[in-house]
Amino acid sequence: MVRNGIGRRLGALAAVAVIAAGCSSSTGTTGPSGPKTFTIGYSNGGSVGNGFREEQVCTAKAQVKMYPEITNLTVIHRNTDAAGQLSDIRDLIAKNVNAIVFNPNDPDALNPALEEAAAKGIVTVSVDAYVTDPHTWNLYNNQIKYAELGAKWLFDQMGGTGTVWYTRGLAGHPADSDRDIGFQTVLKQYPNIKVVPSNSGVFTGWDPATTTNLTNDFISSGQYDKIQGIWASGMGKQIVDAIKAANKPFVPIVDADIGGFVSQLLDPTNFPGLKGAAVTNTASVGGAGVTMALKLLKGETITQSAGAGRPNTVLLDPVLLDNTTDAGKAALKAWQSVPGLDQLWPLSLSIQGWTTYDPNTVPASCKGA
Amino acid sequence: MTAASVVARRRALDAVAPWARRNGWTLGLVGFLGLLLVYTKLIQPSYDSSGIQGLAIGVLPLALAAVAQAVVVMSGGIDLSIGSMMAFTSVVCATMMKGQSQEFAVVVVLGVLVLGIVLGAVNGALVVLTKVPDIVVTLAMSFVWAGCALLVRAAPGGAAAEWLRNLVLGSFISEWIPKSAIVLIVIVAVIWIPVSRSRMGLSIYAIGSNRLAAFRSGIPVGRTKLFAYALTGLYAALAGLSLTASTGIGTPVPGPYTLMSVAAVVLGGVSLAGGRGGLFGPIVAVVVLQVIRTDMTFLSIDSNYAYVAQGLILVGVLMVGSFALMRRSRA
Repeated sequence: MVRNGIGRRLGALAAVAVIAAGCSSSTGTTGPSGPKTFTIGYSNGGSVGNGFREEQVCTAKAQVKMYPEITNLTVIHRNTDAAGQLSDIRDLIAKNVNAIVFNPNDPDALNPALEEAAAKGIVTVSVDAYVTDPHTWNLYNNQIKYAELGAKWLFDQMGGTGTVWYTRGLAGHPADSDRDIGFQTVLKQYPNIKVVPSNSGVFTGWDPATTTNLTNDFISSGQYDKIQGIWASGMGKQIVDAIKAANKPFVPIVDADIGGFVSQLLDPTNFPGLKGAAVTNTASVGGAGVTMALKLLKGETITQSAGAGRPNTVLLDPVLLDNTTDAGKAALKAWQSVPGLDQLWPLSLSIQGWTTYDPNTVPASCKGA
Repeated sequence: MTAASVVARRRALDAVAPWARRNGWTLGLVGFLGLLLVYTKLIQPSYDSSGIQGLAIGVLPLALAAVAQAVVVMSGGIDLSIGSMMAFTSVVCATMMKGQSQEFAVVVVLGVLVLGIVLGAVNGALVVLTKVPDIVVTLAMSFVWAGCALLVRAAPGGAAAEWLRNLVLGSFISEWIPKSAIVLIVIVAVIWIPVSRSRMGLSIYAIGSNRLAAFRSGIPVGRTKLFAYALTGLYAALAGLSLTASTGIGTPVPGPYTLMSVAAVVLGGVSLAGGRGGLFGPIVAVVVLQVIRTDMTFLSIDSNYAYVAQGLILVGVLMVGSFALMRRSRA
């Protein structure tokens, strides 16, 4: 059994190739030229279950419902690596969709498939992070500004002096790297601010359990008692919960507009003395990506952001709200307008000029295709 | 028809019939794949050569992982560290190729292949020396290799030489023959044909089929097992290289390759008890699983159902397999 058959088996493999060739002899000709209706493919290649990623896919589904000319949305939403996302994008190309919106697993790795899409006249839009493919348009939150807004608010709250615990996201992720650039820029303007554990901060991996452990260790080692502020990158809720569990007084904290964190800011009964600010990091980039794809398919012009540092790019500017004034509290409360939103999801559900759905429809749109 | 031609035909039939009987499962799988491709063409009439090329590139790392797993499973073992070895070798390759010349990249590729053999041999040596079950040793080592990958690179990055990237992209002679399919066939044939025809190849099947009988026939069981694991390491390194070739980077966090490789081995007709099966079946199985995923995209079915379907197929295969085994033992 071992000694024979290899050659024949290879022959059989060749036969498979022939069968494959034989049964798919015609070439696709349906291009985007002419049709008034469009189909869109959506690829998210990681963090399934993460609030930001889930909300992002739901906003894409909600936005598609606003456009009768989009007849089909195919979503591939699974945990995989860059090679797996390459294969997902190639499947969408083979499906002959008119546009592909995707959250990239890597800035460079998807380029071969994106080039193949461009050669077939398929519009590609990268959301939440950029890719280096020259044919693809990028639409993402301005993470440098996100960090700058929060750091400036925090350092001002501290009177420009004291020690800050710098908790970051996922090492190597473009959003985390951009946020670090913003944080360091503002830090240079405040010479009396010290950063612990070091200027390069500590990574939470954007993982709730890791963050809770890190915070518990930080408190039990006595380091928490020596700081005057916390800069967080989306895991603020877990940090505040750990401080409360340890019965420690709160220090000012800035984080993203995650539902659970904003609830804490507006709950002085359970979190007395908690001063904080939330910076928007909208997951509605999913819906906005659909709008961008449709604009490109219709040949409309899109204004690029000048400060992006790369072509074909639109940056979304973040907004900061805090709970130190009544006006701020009222504005934060207004963010909580959508009932039924998961605690771990970002609150800002619309982007002016890019999303047109009713934010209330987003939680429901997650369920349907 | 002359008598000579009748004899010749009978001879050919005599040669093919036992082979077909032995490889009934694989032939059935090939038939199923054929039907699946016809079905794909029906639901997506524009599916053409570029679709086949995309399929072949997507299949390459999975197929090499399946081949790696098949070798060790045939020897009666199992390797749960294949995904981690792929990540480790892939990041080493991408990191060392960054900013280097095309010629140096050849050295890197050879070095990474040696690294794969070493990783596999360490797994094998631990299994042989400690006598701890394979599944426990390789599960533990999967964390070690994954940790090593993260030590090399904390985040995805690096680069791949242009010739390495071109090796898997595009087609060869006809647009219907993807380069990555040729690469797969060549890699598997060049290594496996000489091995399987050697004494060592026979020994791999022998220790997988009946360890004690193999030992009593004078086969060096420990050395053979070590060799099988080293060969698995080599194929895992090739799978890691194919990841770097198709993406141009190295990713330290392992992809879903270990479990997919076990799935493909089972579906490909390799007995998890060892001693039976070949490499062709698992490769066809990987293509089948990938085409099912593609079809689900064409049908706009939630991609997570593809996992459900794969799991159900596996359970089905295992049930059919044990049923056949029961009937055989009764007969």
